[in-house]
Amino acid sequence: MGTMNKLEKWQGALNKCIRCGYCYEHCPIYKSTRWETDSPRGKLILLYGLLSGGVEPSEYVAGKLMECFHCGRCQKACSSGVPIQDVYQDARELLVKAGFDVPGTTSRTDTDVCALCLNCVRMCTHGARSFVDGRIVTDLLKCRSCGSCLDICPKQGVTIRRGFGTNPEELDREVAAFFADGRNPEAKAVVFSCGWSNYPGMQTASYEPDAMTAEYKVLVTVCSGRIRSETILSALDAGAWGVLVVSCPEEDCEHGGSPRVKARLEALMKPLAGIGVDPGRVQVVEVAQGNPKKFLEVTRAFMEDIRALGPLLKRSEA
Amino acid sequence: MSDINFEKLRAIVGEANLLRDPADLYVYGSDSSVHEGMPQAVVRPMTVEQVQELLRYADGERIPVIPRGSGSGMCGQVVPVQGGIVLDMKGMNRILEINLQDGYCRVEPGVVDDDLNKALKPHGVFYPPTPASSMVATIGGELANNASGTRSVKYGAARDAILAMKVVLAGGELVSFGATTRVAASGYPLERLMVGSEGTLGVIVEAALRFVPIPRLRCLGIAMFNQLGEAGDAISDIMGSGCQPSMLELVDKIAITAANKAEKLGLPEVEAILLFEADGMAKETIDPEIEKFRAICERHNGFGFEFSYDEKERARIFAARSKLFPSLSKYDERLASTSLADDMAVPFSKMAETANKIHEIAERHGLVMTAYGHCGAGCMHTKILMDTEKGEHWEAAQRAVAEIYEYVRSVGGTTSAEHGIGLSKAAAFKREKASVLGLMRGIKKVFDPNNIMNPGKLMDGPEDWVGETHLRYQKS
Ligand SMILES: Cc1cc2nc3c(=O)[nH]c(=O)nc-3n(C[C@H](O)[C@H](O)[C@H](O)COP(=O)(O)OP(=O)(O)OC[C@H]3O[C@@H](n4cnc5c(N)ncnc54)[C@H](O)[C@@H]3O)c2cc1C
Ligand code: SF4
Ligand code: SF4
Repeated sequence: MGTMNKLEKWQGALNKCIRCGYCYEHCPIYKSTRWETDSPRGKLILLYGLLSGGVEPSEYVAGKLMECFHCGRCQKACSSGVPIQDVYQDARELLVKAGFDVPGTTSRTDTDVCALCLNCVRMCTHGARSFVDGRIVTDLLKCRSCGSCLDICPKQGVTIRRGFGTNPEELDREVAAFFADGRNPEAKAVVFSCGWSNYPGMQTASYEPDAMTAEYKVLVTVCSGRIRSETILSALDAGAWGVLVVSCPEEDCEHGGSPRVKARLEALMKPLAGIGVDPGRVQVVEVAQGNPKKFLEVTRAFMEDIRALGPLLKRSEA
Repeated sequence: MSDINFEKLRAIVGEANLLRDPADLYVYGSDSSVHEGMPQAVVRPMTVEQVQELLRYADGERIPVIPRGSGSGMCGQVVPVQGGIVLDMKGMNRILEINLQDGYCRVEPGVVDDDLNKALKPHGVFYPPTPASSMVATIGGELANNASGTRSVKYGAARDAILAMKVVLAGGELVSFGATTRVAASGYPLERLMVGSEGTLGVIVEAALRFVPIPRLRCLGIAMFNQLGEAGDAISDIMGSGCQPSMLELVDKIAITAANKAEKLGLPEVEAILLFEADGMAKETIDPEIEKFRAICERHNGFGFEFSYDEKERARIFAARSKLFPSLSKYDERLASTSLADDMAVPFSKMAETANKIHEIAERHGLVMTAYGHCGAGCMHTKILMDTEKGEHWEAAQRAVAEIYEYVRSVGGTTSAEHGIGLSKAAAFKREKASVLGLMRGIKKVFDPNNIMNPGKLMDGPEDWVGETHLRYQKS
């Protein structure tokens, strides 16, 4: 516990947490695993334990603290004004100082494939990547887990090991499952959303008939900047009539993701338009976080456009 | 109790649904109460058969089993005071059926209340108990605690919504209670017995619940009072007048001050506010209710009336209540809002007196306590705001809690209106139910002969909740 003494200044803040759980429905990590320990409340309880001696610092505990997409939704949703992110950050610092080198959701570079182009170092808006002793290193305390460096790397040498449903392969899998033969007969589109706070549907429960009649599936990505062209193409290929990306307003996005996804999709749609694909099939719309009503409005408008356009591929081609 | 056989647990639920790291166990030792404990394992069953197998194993080895929803209970219901296995029921989260013709829905226990209502909404119906914690609370937890909410004054609590349920008993046997019909006359209503049992009788694995039509219109009103007693008299007159509010809430001055301070609401700092809602399909039936409310409040010197049917306006008026909870935590930097003496029910005619009594007791013990609640249902809530690091504050809190419940009993009230008993209200509960504790223990013995289901709670909870349990706060 000695190493965690410095957390003492947060004792008051930790006492303020009434453990209501209002934070956890917003957390992408919790939503992915649904274990209490992965929720913001659970992590605060862990910190409480580190302070009281109820929990020993360990790789496992450090890993839990390092798993966070820094979306800040928990702090905004907190009923009691707990400065959750600041408390976490201090705890991470102590754990890293104590020698726990666990990546969590931070990015890692595979030195075997890295071409040392330094694209990632230049583009990281958080200054988390640097070139040291001939290789790229990630500063565990600066990395915001946005994944921007994953797309910029020409060698696909950057990974976030635990994506909690937001890694490209995980998104591709979800899309494929939604359009898999006959499973959702009404399936027409995929909607990517930057965070859970806009999510209009049921949060954790499932109701089979709803899935059967669903025309679109919302997939939460954490940062829209992570939506790759390949993901869009594979959605269209799987049978989607269209894809909507709901991103945060440019001025709200601290990762520079919004402008990036817009530019990327524009570049993608140009050649597609050339072969007769209506550009309206792939749209990016901005919605500020925490506005499910607006989210629904833009989604409904998009679905109207898509229905008017009809299927892109014949069912047999999909 | 034997050591846990993790191989066995793994064989039943699979590696992916088993936690045993001490850090996970520590996290699963708490809920929204002041207590903490430590289980030996956490498992997440995904099917009824897995629950049965787990219970068969645990019963054979005499290992405590604590069913858990979201852990938003406020009295320590899911705190594993004797170790054992926590069953995280959130893996069983399917809505199985929405049957509009026969007027019921069937759900697994891990479905979150708000999710159920999202699924019901397109059909024009809602599941009404809806506690303030509906965004986290599971149906299993709501049933086991008999949760209710602001609209329970008209639509009832969880116990009024239950029609039938499937339960796995301690030995692993699966039984069905109740019927999905609207009436069921004979025999013991065991489905209702399960409601409020706090996980001590068995594991609810499926529930059939009734729902009601969503009213087309809602009108919310507000009235202010310079005397808490006058607001209290208005409450009993409203409830005695045949009025049918869909909500009747009391907010006291401490809560108003807190809301103003934390959320800058700019509310007049009067002694009490009453919020009144009437709902229905036509204005013609709602307006007279609102008129009656206004007339009664005027008779008791109420003033500052506002009424609105508009959704946005209603949200603005309701802010005094909806912002209350967060405000209490932000009331004073040095004070934490603890879930103590958190709820009780008293006769309508004693509402104001109870609120005054709470203030008097708090002041005498150097604590800050507010009084608010679903007064149309006789439900009163409070919170103790205190410096949790000071041992003397805990002593004061313990005395205050005891005095409050002694008063509640003296006026014919009851220890819990909706939050349940768990650990922190057990002493008061046992005093209130002294004459039937033997019967309750007898019933438990029939359901759970080896006392593995959530032991040490409710009628077996501690007398001294400060000394006999582990508090989650570090006190000097
Ligand atoms: C901010 C806040 C506001 C709240 N507001 C209200 C309110 O307005 N009204 C109200 O009534 N309550 C309220 N509560 C209390 C609490 O949210 C409710 O009692 C809720 O019903 C608990 O649900 P849960 O899923 O969190 O259950 P848990 O806390 O996990 O468990 C509660 C009890 O249910 C048992 N249980 C859970 N699942 C099962 C199962 N499948 N089978 C058998 N037993 C089971 C547990 O063993 C335990 O005894 C509030 C709590 C908070 C933190
Ligand atoms: S900042 Fe976002 S990802 Fe991190 S704990 Fe909070 S809600 Fe979860
Ligand atoms: S919302 Fe805030 S008070 Fe509630 S559990 Fe989360 S951190 Fe704690």
